[in-house]
Amino acid sequence: MKSLAIVVRDDSYDKILTPLAFAYLTAAEGVQVDMLFVNWAVKALTADGAASLCIDGRHAVDEAKVREGVAKAGLPTDIYEVIKALKSTGNVNFYACSLAAAIFGVSQDNIISEASGIVGAAWFLNEKAAKADHYQYF
Amino acid sequence: MENIKITTTLDTSGKCCPMPMVEANRAIKALAVGDVLEIVATDIATRTDIPSWCNRLGYTLLSLSEQDDVLRYYVRKDS
Repeated sequence: MKSLAIVVRDDSYDKILTPLAFAYLTAAEGVQVDMLFVNWAVKALTADGAASLCIDGRHAVDEAKVREGVAKAGLPTDIYEVIKALKSTGNVNFYACSLAAAIFGVSQDNIISEASGIVGAAWFLNEKAAKADHYQYF
Repeated sequence: MENIKITTTLDTSGKCCPMPMVEANRAIKALAVGDVLEIVATDIATRTDIPSWCNRLGYTLLSLSEQDDVLRYYVRKDS
């Protein structure tokens, strides 16, 4: 596999870990990873949004235990730090969906510098997802 | 085992996927062709991850051992 495209929709702390871990794993091997953040997950591409991610619903009571497990696994517990680690591989591009950005309050003013920008879903689906060796949706 | 000359050791004990493989990739990139990386792991996922990784990227898994839930892999960088 030379390229991987991932669309991330779920924004709870526990659920966003999986696509980030998959991206980290493959990027470390030299795979080009392109990630599009849609819906509420687009907030993860802002410093405040990344910091505010938490575990929703029936698993919320286990948040401290989950964060402890993440640290034990060797990952940063802060999602923004995970994003920085992925970026440092040199193989991951983060994109904010333009529709999600408009709805959920992400702009050029607050998007993190690690992100490659705010893009249209059509561009991502045609230029990244359709051309990738593998495509995942979370 | 006695004949394997270890160039460097990576200890991932206690860490879980994806970190052992992320760190293994980082460690082997720093080695020269012919060097041997010893990977120490406690994550049982490495039992499948490391042989697959070697096959995919052209490394040779020279040996592996397991004692008291600690796995040791000896990987030669062939390319």
